[in-house]
Amino acid sequence: MRVAALIPVLLLILSFCLLPACSSHPPQAYPPPVVDKSRPAPVTQPSHASDKPVPSYVQPRQQVPNATGEVSHPPAVLALLDQAEQQANAGELESAAASLERAIRIDPRNAVLWYHLATVRLSQGESAQAEQLAVKSNSLAVGNAAQQARNWRLIAQARREQNNPGGAAAAENRARELDLR
Amino acid sequence: MAKRRKRGRKKSRRKAVRRRSVWGRLFLFLAIVLAGYITWLDYQVRHQFTGKRWSLPARVYARPMELYAGLELSAEQFLSELKALHYRPVAKAVSSGQFSRDGNSFQLLSRSFDFWDGREAGRNIRIAFSGKHVAKLSDGNSRQPVSLARLDPVLVGSFYPAHNEDRVLLQLDDVPVSLTDALISIEDRGFYSHYGVAPLAILRALLANLRAGGVVQGGSTLTQQLVKNFFLSSERSLVRKINEAIMALLIELHYNKDEILEAYLNEVYLGQDGNRAIHGFGLASYFYFERPLTELSVDQYALLVGVVKGPSYYNPRRHPERALSRRNRVLDVMAELELITPEDVTRAKSRKLGVSPFKRKAINTFPAFLDLVRRQLQRDYRDEDITSEGLRIFTTLDPQVQWQLEQVLESRLRALENGRKMKAGTLEAAAVIASVQGGEVLALAGGRDPKFAGFNRALDAKRQVGSLLKPAVYLTALEQPKRYTLATLLDDSPLSFTARNGDLWEPRNYDRENHGEVPLYQALAHSYNVSTARLGLALGIESIIKTLRRLGVEQHLNPYPSLVLGAVEMSPLQVTGMYQTFASGGFRTPLRAINAVLAADNMPLQRYPLSVRAAVDPAPNYLVSTAMRYAVREGTGRGLYQVLPASQDIAGKTGTTDNLRDSWFAGFTGDRLGIVWIGRDDNQSIGLTGSSGALRVWGDLFAGFNSPDQAPVAVENIEYQWIEPKTGLLADAGCPDAVQLPFIVGSAPVESASCVKKNGVLTAPVDWFKELFE
Repeated sequence: MRVAALIPVLLLILSFCLLPACSSHPPQAYPPPVVDKSRPAPVTQPSHASDKPVPSYVQPRQQVPNATGEVSHPPAVLALLDQAEQQANAGELESAAASLERAIRIDPRNAVLWYHLATVRLSQGESAQAEQLAVKSNSLAVGNAAQQARNWRLIAQARREQNNPGGAAAAENRARELDLR
Repeated sequence: MAKRRKRGRKKSRRKAVRRRSVWGRLFLFLAIVLAGYITWLDYQVRHQFTGKRWSLPARVYARPMELYAGLELSAEQFLSELKALHYRPVAKAVSSGQFSRDGNSFQLLSRSFDFWDGREAGRNIRIAFSGKHVAKLSDGNSRQPVSLARLDPVLVGSFYPAHNEDRVLLQLDDVPVSLTDALISIEDRGFYSHYGVAPLAILRALLANLRAGGVVQGGSTLTQQLVKNFFLSSERSLVRKINEAIMALLIELHYNKDEILEAYLNEVYLGQDGNRAIHGFGLASYFYFERPLTELSVDQYALLVGVVKGPSYYNPRRHPERALSRRNRVLDVMAELELITPEDVTRAKSRKLGVSPFKRKAINTFPAFLDLVRRQLQRDYRDEDITSEGLRIFTTLDPQVQWQLEQVLESRLRALENGRKMKAGTLEAAAVIASVQGGEVLALAGGRDPKFAGFNRALDAKRQVGSLLKPAVYLTALEQPKRYTLATLLDDSPLSFTARNGDLWEPRNYDRENHGEVPLYQALAHSYNVSTARLGLALGIESIIKTLRRLGVEQHLNPYPSLVLGAVEMSPLQVTGMYQTFASGGFRTPLRAINAVLAADNMPLQRYPLSVRAAVDPAPNYLVSTAMRYAVREGTGRGLYQVLPASQDIAGKTGTTDNLRDSWFAGFTGDRLGIVWIGRDDNQSIGLTGSSGALRVWGDLFAGFNSPDQAPVAVENIEYQWIEPKTGLLADAGCPDAVQLPFIVGSAPVESASCVKKNGVLTAPVDWFKELFE
């Protein structure tokens, strides 16, 4: 009687082990990323809890805005940002864009870099691409209202240059809403 | 008679006049011909010299390695990069192109290099590794931290003109004086004083040759040798000698000595690599010593100069003794002329030849990737410009990724064949690896043999994609949050559909089972055909085609119901383009293999900039990606976590076609996207599913990448809810089997599952209570 009760359990265990993926690492449940909307949050957060201290180099390279909405960057990215700024000031816009692309290669999820690339494209008169790049920056800046506001202002400018005053006004409104957060 | 005689005399005088005028005319004619001939020679010479002097093959470079603290790179990977760049290991690095290693730290004197955005100066850097990343980067002299250093890029190939001449162009200013000293002293001491020919030298050579009864000495000046090299003829005849002499004089008339010397240094023939002719000292330096000319020592210059006399006879690889004595002869002459000190000569002579072992290397290291580069170039350049204008092409190829891909394909395909008792070589494969946000093609395999420059399956093998298409169907659904969410139950019961043309369509699941009602995310994760087909029919084939177009699928698509199950043929590269949008959060970025093109003189010609276009709203894109994450966690892709750490965020989709003809896996992590295909060229069954074939390759490959664990990018307008999968209703953490699923805000179910009602009274306050103390 008791043995008979165990049979379904045994069968269940067996059936799991017959699956091709029966392995020593059972698949983990997939938890959501956490976005705390109450404070300026990093763009990305680790989705997995780990007891081990995480070495600095595996921490997601994230934008952590401080009180003024400024973001700290890894030194390599900072060096390229500086370089891009100098190049842009010297009128070498395409070189500035190339430096920003280098920075994006190192830190692809850094919304600030995409924003700067958008400003360079806007200065070059490529307003349509500038708008798209700012939208991209926005998608990477969830939780960073200050950066999103900057992006929306750039989008507004890009839309004005594309003779889209209605779209520009809508973008300005988005920027103002974000200012209040 | 007299009259006659007179007449006769008159006649003969007339004859003489006529004769004289014939000679005159002949002379005039010859003079004109000669003048014409010389003018023609002059044109030829000048055309060669100033016109299209050298057709320079295009140089193709990999991405330059950017070094910075935190970079994911092991010491061994760094070493392999240095080897590919031909940096030389030494005890202490003192000149550029050298490095020293002490355990996990390296000291390196990098080379300066002209990039698209300017010159990167060579520098002295220290790199310390810890585990699989760069721990510290500092200045080799001051020990101050360095935030970023860019190495010169690995040369991965060249596009040659039809006659396979190869060159690395030199400017006289860049040529070390020791080399020109050695050259002039052994080949043409009178170079700076003669007018192109040296009659005395010819006489001397003639005598020497007569005495020896054969040709032992050449009296040709460097200018004559240059002419000989220009016209590439080895015929030995008097006419040719005369031609050569005239042309040498003409060259001297038009150009100064420095120009002539520079031309010589670039033109002279110095060796042969298969059907590739090695011209000029610039390339010969790489050919014999695997490094730039400026990094050689005087004995090596002497060797190169020695080879001039007979690249085949003095071939240092085939005839090292001959080459050695010739080199020492050059050194002796240099000493005689007091160009080097006796001590230096002794030291130089004691050195070995130092020639690198001959590698019968394929002209292009990565032919499949170069094929892609060439096709992208052909959109903007004519073929003859690609092969002769000396373009410098900066590509997106990451050699580290490419090497791993080649290695994994080799070992995993062999293992798959062994495991299924297949004849070795049965399986073929193709793969594309790209960066997620930038859409840069990092590596590409056109077949399992990486050196095979033929059929490029990554670009040209159009195969049925099967279930790889399903995410487009689910995306179409999830873009309508009022109708579909990840928790929506789909009907997986048997389906029989009669198309407009009367055809009966009865799709079946791979496991031949029907699964009743399944939540949408599981239907994709387990790749159920029946529920997907029903979903596709409900959405309408046209709307799915529209979605595919937004994802960048450009080819003709038949609006048949079977489309939703992947009855469409695509190349691995096309599939990469489609998945790139999913991977990058809904933004389409055209795949790029080239970053920039420079002219031979480093003038920027063209940039291929990063551009994006919002193609899919990030929120539904996030939902469909989440379903692909479940495919890897618990669906058809779950084999991956046997080789990859559970902490890594991976989304992916398997693809299997009828009769197991094609095995696909498309997947992405936070930073890389990879598409792998396995099949046979004759389209026979391979007996492998996406999970048992391509997924294995993908897993091995990404396990080797060591990417940092990155959570998915947070997306706006998304909220998470606990769901009971079997009912698709709202649950809570206490419900058995409950999962947290993302929803577009406001689209989550409102009705609660029965488990909530049972636990509700208890769990909610407990959670609230717990929060107080956290």
